[in-house]
Amino acid sequence: MTLLAFIFLLAFLPAESASSRYLPKAAISSPVFGPRQVYGLLNGSVTVKCFYPPTRVNRHDRKYWCRESATRCMTVVSTSGYTASGYRGRISITDYPEAENFQINISALTMADAGTYQCGVGINGRGLSHRVSLDVSEGPHVPEGAELFYVKLHSTLTMSCGFGKEYASVRKFLCKVEKNGCYNVVDSYGKVGEDYEGRALLSNEELPGSFSVVITQMGWEDSGLYLCGVGSYGEDGEMKELDVHVYEETKVPQRKPTIIGVKGSSATFECLYEPVKKSSERYWCKWRQNGCYRIIANSGYVSPSYEGRVAMYDNPGNKTITIILNQLKDSDKGYYWCMTNEEKEQQSSTELKIIDGEPGLKGKKEVEAQVGSQVDLTCAYPCKYYSYQKYWCKWSGTTCTPVPASDQRQPGPDVTCDTDNKTVILSFDSVAKTDQGWYWCGVKRNGLFGETMAVYLQVTGGSGADRSPELLDIDALSPAEPPSHADSGFNPRGRANLDAGVQSAGASGSSDQSDGPNTLAMVLGPVAAVLLILVTAFAVFKYRQLRRSDLVSVGSYRTNISMSDFESVKEYSASNNACVKESQETQLGGDELITTTATPESAAETKKAKRSSKEDVDLAYSAFLLASGTIAQGGTGGASAAPDTSPPAWEGQI
Amino acid sequence: LVSGIAYLVLTGYPQDSEDQEYVLVNNKCQCVTVTSKFVPSKENPGEEILQRNIRILVPLKARENISDPLSPLRTKFVYRMTELCKKCDPVEIELGGEIYQAQQSTSCNEPETCYTYNRDKCYTTTFPFHYRGETKNVKAVLTPASCYAD
Repeated sequence: MTLLAFIFLLAFLPAESASSRYLPKAAISSPVFGPRQVYGLLNGSVTVKCFYPPTRVNRHDRKYWCRESATRCMTVVSTSGYTASGYRGRISITDYPEAENFQINISALTMADAGTYQCGVGINGRGLSHRVSLDVSEGPHVPEGAELFYVKLHSTLTMSCGFGKEYASVRKFLCKVEKNGCYNVVDSYGKVGEDYEGRALLSNEELPGSFSVVITQMGWEDSGLYLCGVGSYGEDGEMKELDVHVYEETKVPQRKPTIIGVKGSSATFECLYEPVKKSSERYWCKWRQNGCYRIIANSGYVSPSYEGRVAMYDNPGNKTITIILNQLKDSDKGYYWCMTNEEKEQQSSTELKIIDGEPGLKGKKEVEAQVGSQVDLTCAYPCKYYSYQKYWCKWSGTTCTPVPASDQRQPGPDVTCDTDNKTVILSFDSVAKTDQGWYWCGVKRNGLFGETMAVYLQVTGGSGADRSPELLDIDALSPAEPPSHADSGFNPRGRANLDAGVQSAGASGSSDQSDGPNTLAMVLGPVAAVLLILVTAFAVFKYRQLRRSDLVSVGSYRTNISMSDFESVKEYSASNNACVKESQETQLGGDELITTTATPESAAETKKAKRSSKEDVDLAYSAFLLASGTIAQGGTGGASAAPDTSPPAWEGQI
Repeated sequence: LVSGIAYLVLTGYPQDSEDQEYVLVNNKCQCVTVTSKFVPSKENPGEEILQRNIRILVPLKARENISDPLSPLRTKFVYRMTELCKKCDPVEIELGGEIYQAQQSTSCNEPETCYTYNRDKCYTTTFPFHYRGETKNVKAVLTPASCYAD
C-alpha cells in the first residue's frame, strides 16, 4: 500500500506542469484585503485600511464596515451614509479610490468594541470582504500589526525592513510563513528558495542594518504572510511581519514572463518604465544568486564579455527600453532584470529559455577583407520577414547605429535589398580600417525590434585583390544550403554510413539525405499503429460521452450536506416584529443569495488524468438542489410557514 | 512583534504542493465554482483521492430574464457540469517559440442564459413612463454601481 501511495506521489511530480494550467484557489478568493489583526488601546483610536481592486464598478460601489455575528454581518458604518447607533460621532469611513483603499477610523474605543468585523465592497455577506479581528487592550503597549502590501498580478513587489545599525553585519533574511514553518525566500548569504529562483533579490540599503527585497512576477501563490528579519529565528534575531496580497485587475495584456530564444539567433527584451526622472540610471543585468551581474547600462557601460552581442534602445514615447541580445548560447539561459536606481516598483524580470533550432536570419558571421577592397555583407531572410523592415547597423557601445543608405556617387557603404533572392546586402566600395567592427542585420515591424544577426568585419592591411571574388561566391549561395565548410566535410561521411542516421553538426536539412529507406519504414510503422489506436480510443470515448452525458453513476459518490446550513435561512426572512430594538441598514439588493455549500467526495477517480475531465452529476446532488429550493422558498415566505408551494418541477435535467 | 514564537526555518525544503487546491470552474454567469484537491482517503489514509468541491449560489429572487424585472421569478435552475467545464476563454500556448492564442472548446458560440448579474457589466431596461398624459419608454439602470462612465 505504501508503494502505491509512493507511486501516486511520484506520478504527481511530472504532472506538475498539468496542474499549473489551473489557477490556485487563491485566484478566486476575495480580492478585498486588509489587516488580519488590529490592536487598539482603551479610549484610543485605530485606523483600518482595506484594499480593493480599482475596477470601475469597485470604485463606485458601496464600502462598508460590519460586525460579524453568528449568522450575518450587521453594518456599523458604510459609504451610503449609515452609522449604527452605538457609534455615532466616533466612527468614520473614507474611500480613496485612486489609492485603491478605503479607511475606517474608530475613536474612543471601549472593551465592547473588540470582536470580529468585516470590511468590504458591495452588499454585506456576498463575499467581497475581508475579516478583521479588533483587539482592545488596556495597554500601555500595543503590538504592531503586520505591514500590508497589495500588488497586482505579475508585477513587482518591494519590501524594505530596517533594524538598527547594530545588525549591519548580521545575516538578513526574508521567509514565507506556511502551515509547517517559515520557508526561506532569500537571504543575505545568497540562498534563494526554490520557487523564487531568478525572481528575488536582496540588497542592502544605505542605512546600516536595513535592507530591501524585490520580488518580480508576483503570482497567486505569493500571497500570504512573510517575515523579514536579521540573525536567526526566535532567538536573538528581530523580525517584522509583512502581509502580501496579490490581486488581478481586468485582463490587461501582460509582457511575456518567458522569452524563448533559438540558439544562434537573438532575443528581444522590453522594459516598461514611467519616465519620472530622465536622468535615473537604468541597467540590464543577469540574475545570480548573490546579486545581479550588470550587462548593459544607459550610462554607456557594456560588459566586456558581451561585446557586439547586446544593444539598448530607448523609446520614451512608448515608455519602453528595448534590449536585444544575439548570438545566443546555451549558457545565456536564465533570468534577466531591468533595474533602475529609483522607483523600485518598475523593476521587472524576464526568463530566457534557449531552444535548438534554425535562426531566421542567415549569413556569414565573420568576414575578412583587405583595406581598400570591395566587400559585401549579406544577410538572408526567410519568407516570414518579407513584409518587415530590414536594416543594417554598426554596433557601437550600447547601441547599434543604423547605417544610412547613401548615394552611389559617394564612396562608402550602401544598403540594397534584392527581393528575388531575399537577401539584404551591405556593401562597402572601399573598406577602411575604421570600418572594422560588429555589424548587425536586423528586422523591425511597427517600430518593434525583431530578430538580429551579428557579423564581425575584420579589415586587414596588405594586398590581395583576388580575395574578394571568393567572398562574393560564398555570399551568393541560397539561404537553404548549409554553410560551405560543413558541406564539404559531410559528404564523405554520408557515403560511408548511408544506413545509419548520421547527425550533422549544424544543418538539419542535410541529415534527411542520409536516412536510408529502411529507417523510414521502421519509423512509419509504429507511428501509424499508434495513430490508429488513438483514433479508435477517441471515437469510443466520444461515443460513450455522448450517450452517458446525463446519466448517473450510482454508489460512487458521497455527499456531505450539514443540516445546520439550512437553519440560517430563517434569519433572512422579513421580520414583522414591531419590537425590534436595533435599527439596521436597509440593503439595496437584499439577501437574495443564500449560501449553502456541499462537498461531494469522489472516491472513484484516483487517476491523475481525470482531474481535468468532465464529471457526471448524480441523483444525490440533484436531490440537494431540490431540498434547498423547497426550504429556501418556505423561508422567504414567512418566519416559520411550512412550504405550501409545490417543489419546482424537476424533470431530471441535471 | 513575533518574539516568543520560534518559526522553524526550512531552507530548500520542497513546498508541499499536495495541499494545493485548484480552480476548475469559475462561472460568474451561473455563479458556480468548482475546486479540487487531493485528500487522504478515509478508508485508506495512505491513499490519496480527488476531492471536488462544487459551490453553487442559487439566486432565488432572480427573474427569468435578468434584464427584465417584469418577467416572472425563475423557478427552474439547470446546472450542467459539461457546460460549466467548457473552457471558452482563449489561452496562450507556445508552439515552436511563438506564442499563440487558442480556444480550448468547441461550441462556444451558443448564448448562455445567466442566472445572476455579472458585476462588470451594466444591465439596463426600459419601462413605460407616464407623465402629463404622455407615455415614453425610459431607460433605467438595474445595476447602478456597474454603469458609471469612467
